[in-house]
Amino acid sequence: MSRTALRKSDEITISEEDFNKFREFFYRKTGISFEPSKRYFVDKRLIDRVIATDSENFRSYFIMLRFQASGEELQFLTNAMTVNETYFMREEDQFTCLVDSILPEVMKRKVATGNRLIRIWSIPSSSGEEPYSIAMCLLERWAGIYDWDIEIISSDIDTGILHKAKIGRYSERSIQKLPKAWLNKYFRRIGEEYQIDDDLRGAVEFTRVNLAEPADTRPYRNFDVIFCRNLLIYFDDVSRKTAAECFYDALNPGGFICLGHSESMSRISALFKPRKFPEAVVYQRPLEAR
Amino acid sequence: MALIKSKPVASAVEALEEKPSCASLLVQLSDENPEVRRWAARDMLHCEDACEALILRLKIEPELSVREVILTALIHLKSPHSIAGLVDCLRSEDASLRNEALEAMKQLPDLVAPIMVDLLNDQDPDVRIFSVNILESLRHPDVETWLIDVVQKDPHINVCATALDLLSEVGSESALDAIVSIKERFAGEPYIQFAADLAFKRIRES
Repeated sequence: MSRTALRKSDEITISEEDFNKFREFFYRKTGISFEPSKRYFVDKRLIDRVIATDSENFRSYFIMLRFQASGEELQFLTNAMTVNETYFMREEDQFTCLVDSILPEVMKRKVATGNRLIRIWSIPSSSGEEPYSIAMCLLERWAGIYDWDIEIISSDIDTGILHKAKIGRYSERSIQKLPKAWLNKYFRRIGEEYQIDDDLRGAVEFTRVNLAEPADTRPYRNFDVIFCRNLLIYFDDVSRKTAAECFYDALNPGGFICLGHSESMSRISALFKPRKFPEAVVYQRPLEAR
Repeated sequence: MALIKSKPVASAVEALEEKPSCASLLVQLSDENPEVRRWAARDMLHCEDACEALILRLKIEPELSVREVILTALIHLKSPHSIAGLVDCLRSEDASLRNEALEAMKQLPDLVAPIMVDLLNDQDPDVRIFSVNILESLRHPDVETWLIDVVQKDPHINVCATALDLLSEVGSESALDAIVSIKERFAGEPYIQFAADLAFKRIRES
């Protein structure tokens, strides 16, 4: 950081009223709710954006943020405010559940209709570790890969992280839980980093989606499985419910949703039924539900 | 057969352009396809009279998934009309609808708080019980005061019992006098004696 920037960041203050005003606005736009305990995290990023946009103070920045027609600054700020910590094969039990329990059930149902396409939605994509892990699990552990087409779509609200996901280059930390054989097969080392191969990069469609915005989620339909892990913990009750209702419409009847280990759909919405498989508890849109 | 790349997902802008008018959304809210009704409920937030239309539909809607989306839309609207409609649902004979309205009202503390005293003094004891249930998760500084008031004045034993149960969880020393006095008011009612003793003990120990 330059000396000018240092001096300027000291000069900019975010009052409690500013924080509350911003919190309300950001929640309405993204569904992400910041508790007062996150004040330091939020203030720091707001001040960074006030400086980056050459705004005089928070007030002028906030006016620009609210009224900018392009919405570009809101996207920059959203990118700064979202947390993107993950790694390959995180909460692996659910990938095993996908291959050993969920997909056999989906296949059984679909075979009767002659439809040989299975669609999976992974949200949030973060930097791509989850959708690429799903792809590798299917290629390495699922015999059905020879008989079925699989589409993997992965979405995030953060355009910066989507760009990173599409590039597919990872640190040692990201790949530490990956089986060595898979690392050798699907990655090539570039200096201190690992580059995922082009076939896998080409197999996942990355898209930007704001779950709080119905116009964004409307096109997402006919999925058989959704992975939405460790995202809803950042939402408040109403935003969680809104997201659950979006997933309901995105899933085919009988489709499954996998949440993070610490999350429970039963506390969010009555629309899904818990399914206890040997590997994990997941949630299902009832087959008979319309 | 293999991993295949999907067709590009239609952009949000295209989706937005296809958004129907408020008049057609009103028609869609009664469509025979529940998915169409869900999307109509989501899309009509910007429409004038959305609250009235949503509440009317909520009262006759048979599908849980549509009722859930309507309730979420009413929460997002944050309008006094939403609350008025939800209060009306509390009087319904349909237990599911009553519970759903109650859960939705819990999400609207700023709108529920100004009418809470009226709700707690409603003629219908069932509505008063539901109102005490709403207090259970209503983050408002007056919750304890309202509960104490119920325990001191409400003539209906089930309303008081519900309030005592909640006071045992959220009450402080300020509630102790009211808890002692309700035992006299309902001296012949074993459950009130039990609930009051339990509330007293829990508050004292906390």
